[in-house]
Amino acid sequence: MTTEPVPILELHGITVNYGGIRAIENIDLVVNTGEVVTLIGANGAGKSTTLRAISRLVNPLSGKIIYAGKDITRARTDEVVKWGIAQSPEGRRVLARQSVLDNLRLGAYTRSDRAEIERDLQQQFALFPRLAERRHQQAGTLSGGEQQMLAIARAVMSRPRLLLLDEPSLGLAPLIVIEIFSIIRNLHAAGVTILLVEQNARLALQNADRGYVLEAGAITFSGPADQLLGDERVKQAYLG
Amino acid sequence: MTLTQFFQNVLNGLSIGSVYAIFALGYTLVFSILGIINFAHGSVFTLGAYFTYMLTGLAVGFNGILATTRLPFALPFILALLVGSGLAGLVGVLIERLAFRPLRKRGSDRLLSLVSSLGVAVVIVNLIQYLVGAEAYSYRSDPFGLGQPTVNFGTPERPIPVRSVQLVIFAVSVVILIVLTLIINRTRLGKALQAVAEDTVTARLLGINTDRLILFTFFVSGFLGGMAGTLVATSQSITGPYFGIAFGLKGLAVIVLGGLGNIPGAVVGGFVIGLAEAFVPSQYVAYKEAVAFALLFIILLIRPQGLLGRVQVQKV
Repeated sequence: MTTEPVPILELHGITVNYGGIRAIENIDLVVNTGEVVTLIGANGAGKSTTLRAISRLVNPLSGKIIYAGKDITRARTDEVVKWGIAQSPEGRRVLARQSVLDNLRLGAYTRSDRAEIERDLQQQFALFPRLAERRHQQAGTLSGGEQQMLAIARAVMSRPRLLLLDEPSLGLAPLIVIEIFSIIRNLHAAGVTILLVEQNARLALQNADRGYVLEAGAITFSGPADQLLGDERVKQAYLG
Repeated sequence: MTLTQFFQNVLNGLSIGSVYAIFALGYTLVFSILGIINFAHGSVFTLGAYFTYMLTGLAVGFNGILATTRLPFALPFILALLVGSGLAGLVGVLIERLAFRPLRKRGSDRLLSLVSSLGVAVVIVNLIQYLVGAEAYSYRSDPFGLGQPTVNFGTPERPIPVRSVQLVIFAVSVVILIVLTLIINRTRLGKALQAVAEDTVTARLLGINTDRLILFTFFVSGFLGGMAGTLVATSQSITGPYFGIAFGLKGLAVIVLGGLGNIPGAVVGGFVIGLAEAFVPSQYVAYKEAVAFALLFIILLIRPQGLLGRVQVQKV
């Protein structure tokens, strides 16, 4: 019944210095096609840096990043987006001065299939009725939860094969967090592979297939999500 | 002031103001994207005027090492204006590659880019002097082939003559302004530029090749600067290698007046300063240059963010 997992992303011994400080060291991580993998850990453990390395916003000092069988360690950010890696960054980073609609259109910047883009746009609006209502509003006027939805919808507009989500629940009210995670589950059900960085470890593990625990820039635990949920050390440190 | 003078002043003000506007847009485009003033913009203005001069087939003077040389061909003036501005745009691209990008990639302080662009300005000015000398150059008279030197906006009894070249300058500048505004607000390219201006990291995560867009921005900036240089030179002359220095400073006044990095602001600022200068009475014409800066001083006292500038809000 089980099929052989197909890795879409592999990190081999990735080390990154950030602002002169070692942010992550010798990280090995695999995401298989169709999985939701979560990277949990305390603030400053290097979770965002890992995503920034994958999106090619920072250069690793050493190590290799393989995406869909291809070495992308030295690729440009716009190239990896084109090849199918989208990121919804920490702090959402919507373009505050542009409309919701323009934010979404820019999400499809790497695509040229206009009719399909319009269809995806309508699909996002069906999925996020609140964004549809506010489509002509400047994105900066949206609430935090709406901005998070926009950031995710914008990333999805590029039709990614791998979606990187950086702290999607940060600073949001509990009810909105539940909504955001139901969106993540829907994306997964629709076949998007997701690498999720979260501080809310319990919620992340409950919604993931596998998890990695990052501590002070190094991976200390990894395994199936339910196993990590049951692990005493993980429980004590992150699920308390 | 008579009504005639008033109309003349308004038309002359709009004409020079429109050149200030396209010149200042060159500064503003770069500033809005990189947060840096490109101090070499004034010397690109100068270069544009020289390029057009040479492309129309005229020989350079007697002082530089290129003395008396001329191109083996001569372009019609409008074509020379476009090609010359294009060449100025390429100089802009070169400036980005040599003076800005290396510093940016190293994460250097913005102040360093400012100094390096100032260095480029000095190099360009000296290079011009070395190549074609310090003398003044004038285009062929009536470069646009207008036939008549003035157009009468009044009646035969009460004429309101305005120099035709000023009208052409106004028309060309307005066309450029409209095209640029459409590109920025209506096209995918324009939206991408706005994205880079607002947040470079986000723009990259959207799949925008930011380095390429920055190069494009420098091209457009150089094109606008070079075109402004040629347009100013058609109504006066190229006064020498320092032609663009004073103009460059005034361009800074324009963008600060309009609101730094604000595109409509650069246009409004250009027209405000152009009109203000046009109304300086002829006996005080020596103080014309002071008008722009006095105006800047007064407006900044009232609106420190400039006419159309946004108040910077610190986001959490």
